[in-house]
Amino acid sequence: MLKTTRREWLGLTASGLLGCSLSRWMPLLAADTAEAAERKRSCILLWMPGGPSQMDTFDLKPEHKNGGEFKEIKTSVPGIRFSEHLPQLAQRMNEMAVIRSMSTKEGDHGRATYLMRTGYLPQGPIRHPTMGSLFSKELARDGADLPNFISIAPFRFLSPAAYGPGFLGPQFAPLVVGAGQPGQTDDVDASLQVENLKLSENVTAAQAGARLQLLEQIETGFRAERPGLAVNSHRSAYELAVRMMQAGGAAAFDLSEEPDELRDSYGRNRFGQGCLLARRLVERGVPFVEVSLSSPDGNGAIGWDTHQNNFPAVQSLSEVLDAGWATLMSDLKERGLLDSTFIVWMGEFFFTPVINGIAGRDHFPAAWSTVLAGGGIQGGQVYGQTSEDGMKVTDKPVSTPDLLATICTALGIDPLRQNMSNVGRPLRIVDPDAVPIREILT
Amino acid sequence: MKRLWMGIFVVAAAANTVGLLHADEVDELAGTIDRHIAARWSEENVVPAPAADDAEFLRRAYLHLTGKIPRVSEVRAFLDDPAPDKRRALVDRLLESPGYIVNFTSVFRSLMIPEAEAEPQFLINVPAFEAWLRVQFADNVPYDEMVHELLTTSGSGNDNFAGRNLGPVEPNPAIFYRAKQNKVENVAANVSRLFLGVRLECAQCHDHPFAKWRRQDFWQFAAFFETPAGKINIPDTDQVVEATYLSGEKAVPPSGTSVRNELATWLTSSENPYFARATVNRLWFHFFGTGLVDPVDDFDADNPASHPELLDELATEFAEHNFDLKYLMRGIVASRAYQLTSRQTDGSQSDPRRFAKKAIQGLTTGQLFDSLAEATGYYESNAERNPLNMNENSERAKFRQLFGNEAGEPANAETTILQALALMNGEFVETATDLEQSTTLAAVVESPFLDTAERVRTLYLAALSRYPSEAELASMVQYVDSGGPSDEPQTALADLFWALLNSSEFILNH
Repeated sequence: MLKTTRREWLGLTASGLLGCSLSRWMPLLAADTAEAAERKRSCILLWMPGGPSQMDTFDLKPEHKNGGEFKEIKTSVPGIRFSEHLPQLAQRMNEMAVIRSMSTKEGDHGRATYLMRTGYLPQGPIRHPTMGSLFSKELARDGADLPNFISIAPFRFLSPAAYGPGFLGPQFAPLVVGAGQPGQTDDVDASLQVENLKLSENVTAAQAGARLQLLEQIETGFRAERPGLAVNSHRSAYELAVRMMQAGGAAAFDLSEEPDELRDSYGRNRFGQGCLLARRLVERGVPFVEVSLSSPDGNGAIGWDTHQNNFPAVQSLSEVLDAGWATLMSDLKERGLLDSTFIVWMGEFFFTPVINGIAGRDHFPAAWSTVLAGGGIQGGQVYGQTSEDGMKVTDKPVSTPDLLATICTALGIDPLRQNMSNVGRPLRIVDPDAVPIREILT
Repeated sequence: MKRLWMGIFVVAAAANTVGLLHADEVDELAGTIDRHIAARWSEENVVPAPAADDAEFLRRAYLHLTGKIPRVSEVRAFLDDPAPDKRRALVDRLLESPGYIVNFTSVFRSLMIPEAEAEPQFLINVPAFEAWLRVQFADNVPYDEMVHELLTTSGSGNDNFAGRNLGPVEPNPAIFYRAKQNKVENVAANVSRLFLGVRLECAQCHDHPFAKWRRQDFWQFAAFFETPAGKINIPDTDQVVEATYLSGEKAVPPSGTSVRNELATWLTSSENPYFARATVNRLWFHFFGTGLVDPVDDFDADNPASHPELLDELATEFAEHNFDLKYLMRGIVASRAYQLTSRQTDGSQSDPRRFAKKAIQGLTTGQLFDSLAEATGYYESNAERNPLNMNENSERAKFRQLFGNEAGEPANAETTILQALALMNGEFVETATDLEQSTTLAAVVESPFLDTAERVRTLYLAALSRYPSEAELASMVQYVDSGGPSDEPQTALADLFWALLNSSEFILNH
């Protein structure tokens, strides 16, 4: 049996064999991306399922009894201090803006996850898209070799709907890698690969091309008589899959190309290596990548849901977070990509200032923090303020739509653009009452 | 209430002696459906699609009733059968087949404990719950009795390790509570969604501005699961509420019975306006991909049924027929709406809530695996196929793992890139299209008495459960005879089989 090399496979594309069978698949995708605005930046969302405790990360209250065990340390910006367990990030404070005045009303994981990831509360039958789908739709590139939205190590259990494309449909669904599954290998590198991206060794490139042509022939009749989402999504998924295979998409996910030293500094865990993968993807033009930190080892969990033994749990999560995120920023900077990459750090809410009887904290959406960093941000500042005890926002409260509108603005997306929803009325990307926080944007 | 129960028992006894339903009862139910659906068509100038041909009906009925496509021999036999009532006969046969039990066990398992798919550590509990469901479907236990047992079970919902290695698994409905983490509020929210079609949980934290349910209603309902007290403190308040039905009536259990028992009796009674409707609606969704009320668990004044009178009549008939799920299925499958083609022949058919063409539905991971196994001749061993054996077949487990990336989502008609890659390049399809390893392909290639046309036809029957059209046949015969890029007709047959298995016609239920 002949083994297919990448060269053969690419040669095949050039010869038009695959190009021919796929050419009719192209317009469908092109139609939806034609209007995309010129992109200012890519976005990396660092998602913290469970909701980290702001008083143990970016808004410590060491003077108050609610403050807990952690000490504050200085950052690279005079007067701004945060947790001792984020020392590398402290050195990058000049590239970050900490919003300490997030205030929402949802204290249930599922509903809050939905709110923070879609910008809307669950409303009857409307299937709101997750922000990665919304934003990557706007930032999509024509004929890209990699999907526009890649989700690394998501933990979707709290609110599966908050991770999907909703009414935008499967073309805008994330490509998922590294989702913790039963029996999945603990090998971090393997878990971050896209499965089945390579042609089987027993199939020649020419044969693969012929097979796709047969498939297209079989599809034509069926598709013509059955217009609709089901058949279209089959076409777009196969089209993208083939494009990824042809472009050697597997290479983007091959972390072994990176120097060991760099990989070590990202942290040899799913989040750290996920951050490294995010850099490789952004480098290749992927407009939206999200990396979830659900537990120190990266297996599906809601690690930040620290009702018990809050302090050791937050400390080990912080260490993983610090290494992955800070290295991501320095790595992006060295490659000249930090200006064109916008980084968002958030969870669905935070945890109570008051420490409960089992050394934990409980759900608390009334006053919490998020961090924006990288390109488009006027770094080195704190926005908003909480009270001495951390219980309420005392200055410049920020709502979820305000935050999303700020992200949109930084990415060059008009937050008032509309998409047709599944209930027959158009819906704006972000609620029209939202006000972007201009003060922290460049 | 007691009289009501007496009434139900009388009906049950009568049904048992009669055995199979009379054909005309099924016709009547299908007629009810046809009447309401067609009335709306004519009111709104909708032109319905033509009837599905036998092959289209056969594949669809197999997938809905047994969760997988038919074998080649079954397709041939059905298509050749001249009997005018062969569709009805097929449905009767499928409803008595082991496939029906396996399929609906899986359908109701993912409805009742969807947590099993999302939470790896919970998988251990699945066999005991499925064992319980299997008994229900094998004995065709009336749905009200089944739910009554689920709601009043006194078993332990603790992790059940028995399924892992040896011995028979004890059926255990209490796993339901374990899946809800034994939390009163989770159980209450799920019970109301599942069996009443009401999303009470939106009122869990606060009064919802748009829905009629208030926070108090939620906690009064949740109080039923706070046994034995039947009272609960609304969190963060001083208010203690007592178990109260959604009708607003307080539960007054006679001494010696629990409030939970009272709830089960109220919930499953034929006088409960929600239970029968919610169940009918769920089954309708199973067969049509869209509920009469949609989303199926959102019965609300703001979310009216597309055909309210039809829903009412189906619910009444269902209750009067002893909550017999098979009766309902027979009626739905015999209806004209179910037997329409999925081809769109007129623009007026595009609204799925008019049921003017058959909707296209996705397959669950299990259905896709079973259908691939059927098409490719992959046989699970006898022990593995025994419905009482819960040890996961390794190929199946691998497949679930692969497609499990979509865990937590219902069967979706939308294909993802990862699924496309798995079907294009994955090990299972590769083996199935390998000349040396594939049972179906080997049989087709090696039978000396088959000509190319017959080989092509057989592959179409195996994958798509239909004969190729003349144009398809001519074109595929030409490809196979040319040998394709490998210059080898046998490999060209493998190429064709690969393409058929990757087609949307194979991957979807249409």
